[in-house]
Amino acid sequence: VAADYVSPFDERVRTPEPLAPRPASMAGSRVVLLDIRKNRGAEFLDRIETLLAAAGAATARVTKEIFSKPAALSLIDEIASGGGLVVEALAD
Amino acid sequence: MEQAPQVNGAQAGSPAPGLAVHGTGLAPVTIASLTAGGCALLVFVSEHCPTSALALRRLGPLCQAWAQAGLTAVAIFEDPLDLAIRTARRFGWTGHVAAQEPPYPASQAYRLSTVPTAVLVGRDRLVAGKMAGWDQRAMASLLAEAGAQLGAELAMPSDAEPRTKPGCSSKAAIDPDLAAAMAGQNGADELEEMFERGWTDGLPVIPPTAERVEAMLGGLPADASLGPVPPAMGEATLARVAACAVLAGCRPEYFPVVAAAARAALDPAFNLHGQAVTTQPAGQLVVVNGPMREAIGLNSGMGALGPGFRANLTIGRALRLLVCLTGGAMPGAMDRSTLGHMGKLSFCIAEDEETSPWEPLHVERGFAADRSVVTVIGSDAPLSISDHRSRTPEDLAYILAWAAASAWSTNWWPLAEPSVFVICPEHAQMFREAGWTKQRLRQFMFEAVRRPASLLRRGETTQVVHAAPPDALVPKWASPEAIVLLVAGGEAGRYSAVLGPCTGMGSQIVSREVESRGR
Repeated sequence: VAADYVSPFDERVRTPEPLAPRPASMAGSRVVLLDIRKNRGAEFLDRIETLLAAAGAATARVTKEIFSKPAALSLIDEIASGGGLVVEALAD
Repeated sequence: MEQAPQVNGAQAGSPAPGLAVHGTGLAPVTIASLTAGGCALLVFVSEHCPTSALALRRLGPLCQAWAQAGLTAVAIFEDPLDLAIRTARRFGWTGHVAAQEPPYPASQAYRLSTVPTAVLVGRDRLVAGKMAGWDQRAMASLLAEAGAQLGAELAMPSDAEPRTKPGCSSKAAIDPDLAAAMAGQNGADELEEMFERGWTDGLPVIPPTAERVEAMLGGLPADASLGPVPPAMGEATLARVAACAVLAGCRPEYFPVVAAAARAALDPAFNLHGQAVTTQPAGQLVVVNGPMREAIGLNSGMGALGPGFRANLTIGRALRLLVCLTGGAMPGAMDRSTLGHMGKLSFCIAEDEETSPWEPLHVERGFAADRSVVTVIGSDAPLSISDHRSRTPEDLAYILAWAAASAWSTNWWPLAEPSVFVICPEHAQMFREAGWTKQRLRQFMFEAVRRPASLLRRGETTQVVHAAPPDALVPKWASPEAIVLLVAGGEAGRYSAVLGPCTGMGSQIVSREVESRGR
């Protein structure tokens, strides 16, 4: 008879969240740019911001406390309520 | 377990015979329970049979969808249950698993000559049809019949070659002596099963049976939680922490130390999240102070950073298993460490407070000397520092401190995060004889390691170096507090060590008192 083991894993199954629909055009959209504070991430976002502006999007920049920790819930709320789209930058 | 009636059970239209089998749950596996929600598909298989493997692999992924439509699938093995469970998992079977022992009464009751044999039992608990060996069309017919009874369209196995394949002999259909001989060595190996389940750090582990976990808990509440373990945020119930301690090889008396280490590591100030996923090599150094060291046999003497002592190795390993398994930070998966280091298997040291000329780490951190305390520090691998020639504390302190000049990176000055110096007893003795306090040594080391900014402006360096005038002396550490001093090691030999920091993620040193089980 099989041994009755205690799993070290959290066996709860998480339902994957579906991706939000991709926009057909950036024109007129509002995009939040999240700088996670990885080295040179801001430079990358500068370039993205320029490209988005050329495509007719309005942008806003927000910053995480530190790259190595999950974003604060208040920041996630701010992003969710403040923009239609979000771009997160990782760089080094 | 139902008695297996001696009837010609597999004939279509006859009542489905009872099942003399073991299931995986507490409730017995019966025709009544399997058909409670609709129809049942009994798939008789054997571990040694390639066609059984084919049937398990083709049908296995469909079982969950069938269950939602009212068709309960059970793989009934002619093998021991543990081997059945492992085999089913290996071939992707997602339905129920049951097993029977010699002389295989369920196979006899269904008059099996062949495995695999699939038997459809209808809502009315009558045999509605069967498939022997693998026969794609026959299986499609069974599923169509089940679908008709359930009023649902059931998922079909993909139409792939081979569409038919002969099965193997059922063990119930061969000479009983031969069947018993075949069952003697069943190939079950619980240590291998731990690897198959992924319950390992790459080394063999102790299987966390319910009995062992209960003994590890020692009466502590299994469902109490220490919080989520980053990065996957698995819940660190005490049962899971205890399971990790069992896997690691801990004795139950170590568990309060393991639990204290887990509580410390899960404090957000420690930023385990960052440490667990970083490309850096950082491991989680566990430092134990206080009376618990001697009580559970932690080594603070010869080979204090090396092998040979169960308490050190298994306590450190238990914390790492919690991070890897409950936290999901397995190397190559969510742990993205470029190289890692061996301390990421286990990294637990006890301080030799009795030999140390100074107050121990936990007292420095505000705990009473008679308390047992666990301190966790994000740390790189040890770098040994030999010094058999210094004759003054100044010379020795200089040699020790400059060994850390390349900690993290050659030109990365100053470091804000802690470098841990493990001072061996002979080195500590020189400081004792000279009357140096810990604070004096720390201040001396802090002031000793400085370089002109101009010599540090190459490759990876810091904003401080760039901002400083070329001749300005930049210290290796941002403050004396970034130098942690411990005493440990064998009484002979002048080898201390420095452990570089986990850098750039705001990880702080965290200490937790070891709680007795009664608290």
